[in-house]
Amino acid sequence: MSRTHITCTVNGEDTDFLANPGTSLLDALRDELGLTGAKEGCGTGDCGACSVLMDGKVTCACLVFAPEAQGRNLLTVEGLSSGAGISGDHLHPLQQTFLEGAALQCGVCTPGFLVAAKALLDHNPDPTESEIRYALAGNLCRCTGYDKIIRSVQEAAVQLRSAK
Amino acid sequence: MSVGQSPLRHDAAAKTDGSIEYAGDTVPAGALQAVVVFSGRAHARMLLMSTDSALAVPGVVDIITAADAPVNEYGLTMRDQPALVGVDHTGAAAVDAAVSRWEADQIAVVIAETRAAATAGAAAIEVEWEDLPLVDNIDAALAPKAPLVHPENGLDTNAYHHLRIRKGDPDFGFALAYAVIDEVYEVPHQEHAYLQPEAGTAYIDNEGRVTIEIGGQWTSEDREQVAHVLGLPEDRVRIIYKAIGGAFGGKEDMSIQIALGLAAMRLAERGEHRPIHCRWSREESIVGHHKRHRGRIRIRLGATHDGTITALEADVDLDAGAYNYTSNKVLGNAHVSVAGAYRIPHARIDSRAIYTTTVPGGAFRGFGGPQGHFAIESAVNRLAAELGIDPVEMRLRNALVDGDDGITQTVMPEGVSMREVITACSLQAELDEALPDPEPFSPIASLPSATTSLRRGRGFAAGFKNIGFSFGFPERCEAEIVLNGNPNDETPTSAELFHGGAEVGQGAHLAMRQMASDATGVSLDDVHGHFSDTATSGDPGSASASRLTFMAGNSILGAAEEAEKAWREGDRPARGFFRYTPPPTEALDPETGTGAPNFCYGYMAQCIEVTVDVDTGHIRVDRVTSTHDVGKAINPALVRGQIEGAVVQAHGYAISEDLQLADGFITNPRFSSYLIPGIGDIPLQVDSQILEFADPLGPFGARGVAEMPFITYTPALTAAVHDATGLWFNTFPLTPSRVLGGLQAAEE
Repeated sequence: MSRTHITCTVNGEDTDFLANPGTSLLDALRDELGLTGAKEGCGTGDCGACSVLMDGKVTCACLVFAPEAQGRNLLTVEGLSSGAGISGDHLHPLQQTFLEGAALQCGVCTPGFLVAAKALLDHNPDPTESEIRYALAGNLCRCTGYDKIIRSVQEAAVQLRSAK
Repeated sequence: MSVGQSPLRHDAAAKTDGSIEYAGDTVPAGALQAVVVFSGRAHARMLLMSTDSALAVPGVVDIITAADAPVNEYGLTMRDQPALVGVDHTGAAAVDAAVSRWEADQIAVVIAETRAAATAGAAAIEVEWEDLPLVDNIDAALAPKAPLVHPENGLDTNAYHHLRIRKGDPDFGFALAYAVIDEVYEVPHQEHAYLQPEAGTAYIDNEGRVTIEIGGQWTSEDREQVAHVLGLPEDRVRIIYKAIGGAFGGKEDMSIQIALGLAAMRLAERGEHRPIHCRWSREESIVGHHKRHRGRIRIRLGATHDGTITALEADVDLDAGAYNYTSNKVLGNAHVSVAGAYRIPHARIDSRAIYTTTVPGGAFRGFGGPQGHFAIESAVNRLAAELGIDPVEMRLRNALVDGDDGITQTVMPEGVSMREVITACSLQAELDEALPDPEPFSPIASLPSATTSLRRGRGFAAGFKNIGFSFGFPERCEAEIVLNGNPNDETPTSAELFHGGAEVGQGAHLAMRQMASDATGVSLDDVHGHFSDTATSGDPGSASASRLTFMAGNSILGAAEEAEKAWREGDRPARGFFRYTPPPTEALDPETGTGAPNFCYGYMAQCIEVTVDVDTGHIRVDRVTSTHDVGKAINPALVRGQIEGAVVQAHGYAISEDLQLADGFITNPRFSSYLIPGIGDIPLQVDSQILEFADPLGPFGARGVAEMPFITYTPALTAAVHDATGLWFNTFPLTPSRVLGGLQAAEE
C-alpha cells in the first residue's frame, strides 16, 4: 500500500508525516508522531478518550482518516501546555485545575476531557453547568463520577476570565 | 504530618499533559504485534487446527498454540482453564484442553510485523469444531441431566461450589415472625468498562527473565500464573506494571499475560528477540474478560411486630460462567452479605457457584457484596414497609454492634460501627424533612420538560464489606523502606519505598507515600516510591477487597520500624523489610457455615432521592447521601474520589448497564450499546460523608473504602423508586422500558 504524505499543523508546529490512507488519525498521531496522549478507549467514537481539536473543533481522532488532517490545524493534549496554552511552558489552567481539583484518577480519559473543555472555553468563556455537561457529553470517565471534572472546568473558566 | 491531608498526586501532572505511559503507549521501536485468537464457540470440541495458511500470510512471524504451553492450565484460585484450547497440546492439564467453554477461550497467538498482518493471520487459521450442547444460563445448568461443563471435576452437577449456613432453627424463627417477606431477586451482569483496554509488551530482560509490562492488580499473582503455564520457576518471570487505566476487579485475572509470556519465551527459543506488543480493542476487552456475576437470590425474611428480625432463609445462585476465576471467593462474600449487617438468630443459607458456557463471572468492585445486599436490603425495606416501620428505625433495631456474633456464629471483628453509620447518614440526608416538589426535567433535550408526570421518592440502605482476603486465605503484604543520610545525620534526609501494590487510578501510591512519610518522619517530597516490579518489590497482595490502604499501610509501618532500628544501629542507608500478616481468618464449616471469615469490615449507609417520570419511565437521581466509616481518611480527597466514582458506577449498574447475551455470546460489546453513565446521566448531587471510627488493626486507624459506596446503591435506589411509584422492582437495570413496563403491568 502506498503511503500518503500529510502536511498539517500539530500543536502550533508545521508537521509532516507518512501514513497509509486507511490509518486513523489517532494511530498516526500515536505511531508516527509519538503523541500518545490521546488514547484509544473504544475505536468507535463513543468514549472521547481520543479527542483532539481539528481547526478548533472537538474531533474523535479514531473516526478520522489520517489524510483528512491534510492542511488542518491540530491540537492534542500535549499542545495544551507547550505554547498553545496561555501560560507558555506551564500547565494550562485546565490542566492545573484538574490536577488540583482531583478531577482525574486512572487518567486515561483525562486528555480527551481537557481538549474538549478547552474547545468549550475557547468559544464560551463563562459556561453554565449545563453547558459544561453538554460540551463534555462525548467523553466517558469510569473512575471519578464526573463531579470534580465539572468543578475543575468551572474553576479554570474563572481563572481564564480573570487572566484576560 | 501528611496522613489526613490531601497533597496533590505525584502522577497527576503527567496525567494532564499526556506524558504518562500506560502499557498501551510503550511500544518499543521494532516491536512485533500479537493478536490473541478467540475460539468464537460457546461450547465446542476442537477436532483440528491448522496454522499452515496463517503462517503463509505475509508479515506473520510465528503462531503460538496449545502445543507451545508446557503446562496448559491456569486459574487464580482453581486451575480449571486451558491457557490455549487445542488438540495437539502436550502440556500437563487437569482440564480437557480441547474444549472451548465460552466464546473467548483463547486458541492461538499470532505474532506478526504489523497488527494488520497479525489480524490477517488470525483470520487464516483453520479450525474444525464439534459443537457441544449450550449451557447458557443457570436454569439450563441446573436442569436434570444438564450437560456438565467441567466433567473432569468428578461432580455430577454444574453447581460446583456450595456454601451453607445453618444457624438456630429457622422454622422456629419464622413461627415467631409477625410478617414474612419471600421474594426472588435477579441480579444482572456488569462490565468493568475501564477506559484502558488490556495492553502489554513482553520481552526477555537482560537477566534472561520473561518480562511482561502490563496493567494488573497483583504483580506476584500474575507472575505465579504465568510461570505455572510457562513451566518456569517464578524468579524467571518478571511482571512490571505501567500506569494502569482502571481495573475495578477486571484486571485481577489473566487476560493477555499468559499469551504474551508464551510468545516471548517461545520466540526467544527460536532466535527471535524483538519485543512483542498486544493490545485489545474495546470489543475484545468486553468479550474477553470476566464480568460481575449475574445470579438469582431467593430470600425469606421474617420479623416481629416491632421489626426485630427473627429468621432468614436465602438461596444464592451465581452464574460462574465457563471457569471459576474468583467465583468461589465472590460466592463466599455474597453468602455472608446476604444476611446483611444484622443480628439474625435463625438462618439457613445455601449459596452455589454454577458453571455455564458463558462469560466467566469474577471480581468487580464489591465482590459479591452488591448481589447479597440487593437481596437483603430490598427485603428489609419491604418488610419495614409491610410492618409500617421506618426503614432507618428497622435497621437500627437489628444492626450488629460490637460483641455480637455475625451470621457465621463467630464474634464480629472489633470496631462494628453499623448503628453510628446508619444514624449519621439519616441525619445528613435530612430524612425528617419532606421532599420538595419535583423540578421539571427532560431526559432528552429535544423533548419539553415533564411536569405533571413526575413522582418523587426516597430510599435507604445500609451494609458492610470485608477488608482484605477472607475464609482462611494466607493474607499478607510486603514492603521495604530504605532510609538515606550521612553517618552523622540524626534523622534521614530521604526515604525510598519499595512496594508492589497496584496503582489502578485510585491514588494508592500517593497514600502509601503519605503513610511512609509519617512512619519515617521524612517529608512527603523526600519519600520516593519504587512500585510494582517483581524484580524490586515484594508480594503486595492484590489491589482489591478494599484492602490496599489497610494492608500496605501496615506493611509500611512495619518496614519503617525495621529501617529505624537499622538507622539507630548506624546503617547508612538503613534498610527495613516487613511482611505484614493480619489475624488469620477461617474457611467456613462446610455443613454449618461456622467460622470467622474476616478480620476487618467497613460500614456504609446510603440515602437516595429520585424523581420518576411515570409517562416515560425515566429516573433522575436528585441526591445521594453516601456515608462511610473509613476508620481514617489517609487522603480525604482520594477517599471522596472513591465514593463519587463508585456511586456513579453503581448508578450505571442500577439504571443503564445492560449486558445482552444470546446463545452464550455477548451481543453488545461496545459503548454505543452497553451504556455506562456519561456526564449528563449522573446524580445531581452526591454528598460524601466520611466518618472516622478508628479500626483497632488499621494503619492510623484506616479501614478501606473502594467498594463500599457501590454496594448499597441499588437497593436504596429501588426503595426510592418504590417510594415514588408504589412498585418494587426485583431486578434491574431500571431502564426506562423496564420502569414503564412495570408501571403498565401494575395498572392492568
